[in-house]
Amino acid sequence: MKQWIGLVARLITGGVWIVAGAIKLPDPAGSVRAVRAYDLLPESIVPTVGHLLPIVEVVVGLCLVLGLLTRSMGVISALLFVVFIIGISAAWARGLSIDCGCFGGGGLEEGASSKYPWEIARDVGLLLLSAWLVVWPRTRWSLDAVVFPPRAGEVSPGPGDGEDWDVEAQHQQDR
Amino acid sequence: MSKRNINKTAERAARAAALKAEQERQEKRRRLLLIGAVVAGLVFVVGAGFLVQNLRNSTGEAATPPAGVVDDYGIVVGDAAAPTTVTIYEDFQCPVCADFEEEIGEELNAGIEAGTVKVDYRIVSFLDRASKNEYSSRAMNAAAVVLDTAGVDAFKSFHDELFANQPVEGTDGPDDEELIAAATAAGADESKVRSAIEDKVFAQWIENATEQMSVDKVNGTPTVFIDGELAGSTPQEYADAIRAALG
Repeated sequence: MKQWIGLVARLITGGVWIVAGAIKLPDPAGSVRAVRAYDLLPESIVPTVGHLLPIVEVVVGLCLVLGLLTRSMGVISALLFVVFIIGISAAWARGLSIDCGCFGGGGLEEGASSKYPWEIARDVGLLLLSAWLVVWPRTRWSLDAVVFPPRAGEVSPGPGDGEDWDVEAQHQQDR
Repeated sequence: MSKRNINKTAERAARAAALKAEQERQEKRRRLLLIGAVVAGLVFVVGAGFLVQNLRNSTGEAATPPAGVVDDYGIVVGDAAAPTTVTIYEDFQCPVCADFEEEIGEELNAGIEAGTVKVDYRIVSFLDRASKNEYSSRAMNAAAVVLDTAGVDAFKSFHDELFANQPVEGTDGPDDEELIAAATAAGADESKVRSAIEDKVFAQWIENATEQMSVDKVNGTPTVFIDGELAGSTPQEYADAIRAALG
């Protein structure tokens, strides 16, 4: 059961990252402005972060959807969500009216923004899903199970308790 | 059972255990190498992508501003001796800006006419994604071309005309031909503006102007300053502040 929940968590967080990153990729200048609008980072690293972030988002998203290095990607994903929650909260607390730039655009908002609470709630939910993957990184249909099958000597839990790899069951049959 | 047999069994068991340990060690090595390879691959992809994004962002490269701008990006309309300066950041595709123009435009024009205020227009373009044909930046380029070739009064009437006929977000904005017609109607010479509008000659200046707005911590349009002071946070507050300044 946990493996199925893990699969859903992977697909949701991974899907969100892919979409969020892919929308930003065509407009690097816009991502830089979006980062700058938070007014949290020194100007010297703003362009670097603005250029790097969309790429990292897409790569982390792809790895999550495929189930590659699930635990590490879950850690990166969770950390990024923590950073975004801090960023949006800080903007909110200081009365900045900016587009969060979560899905492209960003920074330059037409008129005021009252979307902060919803954006934070969404990111908290995605943070929890990422944390799930850090705690239980073994999931259904993951590339990890294929690329990194469990060690030969590893004790495999019996069928039905939900923690065994598909591949492990296969190994036992081979033996 | 003889002693020899017991020894043999123990020997076999020890050999099996050693073999198993060796296998496990190799397995562990293989996994580490594999993880290392995957991580290296991912780092390579991120690095390459980062480089590409850097190269694609031409912000800040040298640009020629249109003739007549003040302070690189300001287009000042009105009597230079007017006691009050109203600075307005706008994007031609921004609907809130169009509403704001409709609300206060005429009063502002009267104030310019009377010499009470001058307006420092800071046109920017970040809403290309809101039309299907990059209307935001093409309109800004056309306005810059009108300013460049026909002066600030022509720019002002072109500006007012564009806001009065702003395309709905998500649709095709006016094409270059329509912009050329509007520019001509505003007083520009068609033969002078045609190629400059079609070739988007001020594209780099437009990028830099938009970047400068961000660097100046202006994060929305419309944003209004009166004599350098931020004049509120909503279009209504901006309009009220301008009315107060107009007296």
